[in-house]
Amino acid sequence: MAVSATLRLDGVGFSYGAEAALRDVSFEVAAGERVALLGRNGAGKTTLVRLVAGLLHPDAGTVWVGGWDTGERAPEELARRVGSLFQHADQQLFARTVREDVGFGPRALGFPVHEVRRRTEEALDALALHAHAEQHPYDLPPALRKLAALAGALALEPMVLVLDEPTGGLDRGLRAHVADALREHAERGAALLVVTHDLAFAAETLDRGIVLDGGRLACDEPLAPLLGSAERLKPLGLVPPTVAALSVALDLSGRPVRERDAAHALARVAGGGPGL
Amino acid sequence: MTRLALEEVTFWYPATRAPALREVSLEVAAGEIVALVGKVGAGASTLLLVAADLAPRVTGGRLAGAVRRRARSGIVLPTPWTQLSGMAFTVWDEVAFGPANLGWPGHEIARHVDHALERLEIVSLAARDPITLSGGELQRVIVAGLLAMDPDLVLLDEPTAELDPAGARSMWRLLRLLAGEGKAIVVATSELDAVPDVADRVVWLEAGAVRAIGTPQLLAEDAACDDGLGTTVARIWRAAGLAPPYPLTVADAVQRWP
Repeated sequence: MAVSATLRLDGVGFSYGAEAALRDVSFEVAAGERVALLGRNGAGKTTLVRLVAGLLHPDAGTVWVGGWDTGERAPEELARRVGSLFQHADQQLFARTVREDVGFGPRALGFPVHEVRRRTEEALDALALHAHAEQHPYDLPPALRKLAALAGALALEPMVLVLDEPTGGLDRGLRAHVADALREHAERGAALLVVTHDLAFAAETLDRGIVLDGGRLACDEPLAPLLGSAERLKPLGLVPPTVAALSVALDLSGRPVRERDAAHALARVAGGGPGL
Repeated sequence: MTRLALEEVTFWYPATRAPALREVSLEVAAGEIVALVGKVGAGASTLLLVAADLAPRVTGGRLAGAVRRRARSGIVLPTPWTQLSGMAFTVWDEVAFGPANLGWPGHEIARHVDHALERLEIVSLAARDPITLSGGELQRVIVAGLLAMDPDLVLLDEPTAELDPAGARSMWRLLRLLAGEGKAIVVATSELDAVPDVADRVVWLEAGAVRAIGTPQLLAEDAACDDGLGTTVARIWRAAGLAPPYPLTVADAVQRWP
């Protein structure tokens, strides 16, 4: 596993001045894995995203991306392997149109024109951004600006996608587009590490949960049972998503955490056929 | 008492043909929480900017219709990090920036700032430099800065977007408390499952126009579910083929369950 891990953190620590943000964090994410990075505000999630993207270098330990020590690589070199979405995605947008911005990464990596075009159009398609492709990114609402920055990360078709709150402010339809796009990239072999407070989105899209608390790794396990346990989530500043709460409250079999599974379970108990 | 009244408001951003709001009429009373829901781009953020007197005054553009405010308003944008004053080196000073600009005496400023920090549960952050805060911490600081000015009309755009789930619950509880004190609150949110316990009324916006106004029960109706605006419980109930009316919340579902 250690050899095949696409992303590996070995005893990683980081401090802002005297304030420790991460302490001795170790985990691995294999190709195709879909991992949620969870935790209360200030737990260290955003710092970890910056470390994986190579914007910060660890004070202790090492972040490995496919065998590269991120501390020894410049962010622009790392962009060949890591696609990032930062919390304040506005800072990632600078081109005059959404299309130009999405294509910037592949262009900067030196791909030929037809390949840049393919990646750009696919990313725009995946996130339903074609209608906005010729708009200036700053003419879009904040939620769509974030989506444009995400499209830019997807267009890199990277080995690792590390995303900080990709769904904030998105409506359900756009969230579903993000979920589909992430699943597809994972199927193609990308390792996903997604910071999110949107536990409903996490439940639908991701299947392993890593929780940080006070800068330390508090747990690393399959996501569904974790999201179903209010007792375990509470001390971590988390609350079960609605589907998990409904499953527990109605004692649905298998304790589903995804909408579709809950509807099936409900239909079975009610004796009707699910209208799915 | 009406704190905000929009009468047939249509608004165009500069250099755009299609209006971002179309003939929107809405009254918000003291003590009331109104939730704005809709797809991205439906006009909720624009409605808040108009209510805050930022559109067209700051954004530019053109407004038709009438906006009446009988209150001092404050707004929290969906990008709270753009609302930092840039003039403060501690959270306490950041929260004091608004009240200081209102020309209040020092002891009044201190009282309001301390109270706001307590309400947002960020007293422990008072001495921190705002630029070192996490997204969720910053979102609380900006809301505290708004409350420290004691506005009668509170306008919030996705106020829980950066908060962890426990923090989001605290924020929604705080809004109910503020409404109980007589503040009028308008909140745009994509967190539909929170709406039934928080909002008195729901305004469903579609392509800049009001599609429906009603109680939160609106979010359990077929039309809302079709448009992705049903609550999770309503959607599951419906997808399971169970008969309407669909329950809105887990608590409703438990009552309905045999």
